Amino acid sequence: MTVLAASSLTKRYRRGDKPFAAVDNVSFEIGPAETLALAGPSGSGKSTIARLVLRLIEPDAGRVDFEGADFLALSGAALRARRARIQMVFQDPLAAFNPRATVARVLDDPLRIHGIATRAERPRRIAALLERVGLDAGLAARAIHEISGGQRQRVAIARAIATRPSLIVLDEAVSALDVSVRGQILELLLDLQRQERIAYLFISHDLGVIRAVAHRVVILDAGRITESGDARSVIANPQSAIGKALVAATPRLTRSRP
Amino acid sequence: MNRLRRFFHTPEAIAGASILALLIVMALVAPLLFSGDPQAIAGPALLPPFQDWSLPLGTDRLGRDVLAELFHGARTSLAVGLAAAAAALFIGALVGTLAGFAGGLIDEMLMRVTDAFQTVPSFLLALAFVSIVGPSLGAVVAAIALGAWTGPARVARAEVLSIRERDYVAGARVIGMHPLEIAFREVLPNALPPVLALSSVIVAAAILTEAALSFLGLGDPNRVTWGGMIAEGRAVLRSAPFLSVVPGIALVLTVLGVYLAGEGVVESTAVRRSLS
Repeated sequence: MTVLAASSLTKRYRRGDKPFAAVDNVSFEIGPAETLALAGPSGSGKSTIARLVLRLIEPDAGRVDFEGADFLALSGAALRARRARIQMVFQDPLAAFNPRATVARVLDDPLRIHGIATRAERPRRIAALLERVGLDAGLAARAIHEISGGQRQRVAIARAIATRPSLIVLDEAVSALDVSVRGQILELLLDLQRQERIAYLFISHDLGVIRAVAHRVVILDAGRITESGDARSVIANPQSAIGKALVAATPRLTRSRP
Repeated sequence: MNRLRRFFHTPEAIAGASILALLIVMALVAPLLFSGDPQAIAGPALLPPFQDWSLPLGTDRLGRDVLAELFHGARTSLAVGLAAAAAALFIGALVGTLAGFAGGLIDEMLMRVTDAFQTVPSFLLALAFVSIVGPSLGAVVAAIALGAWTGPARVARAEVLSIRERDYVAGARVIGMHPLEIAFREVLPNALPPVLALSSVIVAAAILTEAALSFLGLGDPNRVTWGGMIAEGRAVLRSAPFLSVVPGIALVLTVLGVYLAGEGVVESTAVRRSLS
């Protein structure tokens, strides 16, 4: 049983006059409570795949099956209802929220839209969500721009889990955070995965982070899959040129000379 | 509080706000201070200003109190100016948001309609509209709004086009928000500031258009308007120029006040933006 199965996904854009494929014949599967990482250099199509899977953009060819049903066949109200099960966390937690919003409103929206809690119940649910991601419930009244970047990303995660999804797409979700906060957020994500059995599509260019959280990894280059497999073994022994280049680019703590 | 202080930072804003405050007070106290019909005969005809202190600004050709007319005219000018601008901004923001957010055929259609309205000179459009519908306050407001909504529509569309690509709009789609809710709750409020920056120009233009319509005799005949007063005075421009000059000065000051206050608002929000 897979949560998400993408097969032969293709998305073409036009660059100047000649068309090019941002995503070219990409297939992958994610099982329940599994983390699949998409790695690759800038412009390799990682974020385009995220947006295709979420139906923020439409593919030119291919198929996306989500929880055993054709996700691309949905439209209108049926699609909006289904979106409760597949959520996303963006890279820049400030850009991901309406600049006028408060924390409470950000978390209220999914609960209201999907009828998860009645109006009277929602403040309690919002407080519970905030506590679930390790934030103080008193933060609810604050404006989004008043809280720190790490807190904002926790709010983004709270929003993503509000509708009890089976899959969360994390598009460079920890890349904009500083190192200490990054570790805490990754811990939170792993903890949520263990308890709620959420699958992650984890997009990152940082193989160090991928090695720490992902079960499997797919390495992309120019819209194509160049290599895939168990995260640890691929990173320990990359076969493709681009995989080797990515591993070589990962900063390491080397022992200084005596 | 902070914003208010920033608003009153520039002398222009202070001058504009003072003029506007004076006008609003004039409009509000007009029915109290001059409780009778301002179009009733109050004294001898063509009394010059500063002669009789019960009629400080004198009387017009029919012996009507110029000061009372001026106060009641402020009511009309402000009401028409604000109502027409509000209507124009509302229609413009609505059309612009729909066009920008929907894209495709809807965008094409709405923007071609906008083009059509923009190619017709707005004063001719207002003239034609009032001549057909008949001169009433509502018709004048509608006529002015009809020619003024295209500017806000274009600005709103341009803003929406940039905002709809932002992550938080994608985020709203991901949580399953309805497109109309995204357009009017997520996008429109963030697209409004530059649209509202147009409001002072639109109010000023609306007040002038109203005056011009009244001058041509297409204003509401049951109301005193500054444009109507200027037209009244035109017949005796050489013997009693004050009849045209007094409402003319009022008109100039009003437009200036609206414009300066609008500039002040734009300045203060611009500061806020660059700080954040």
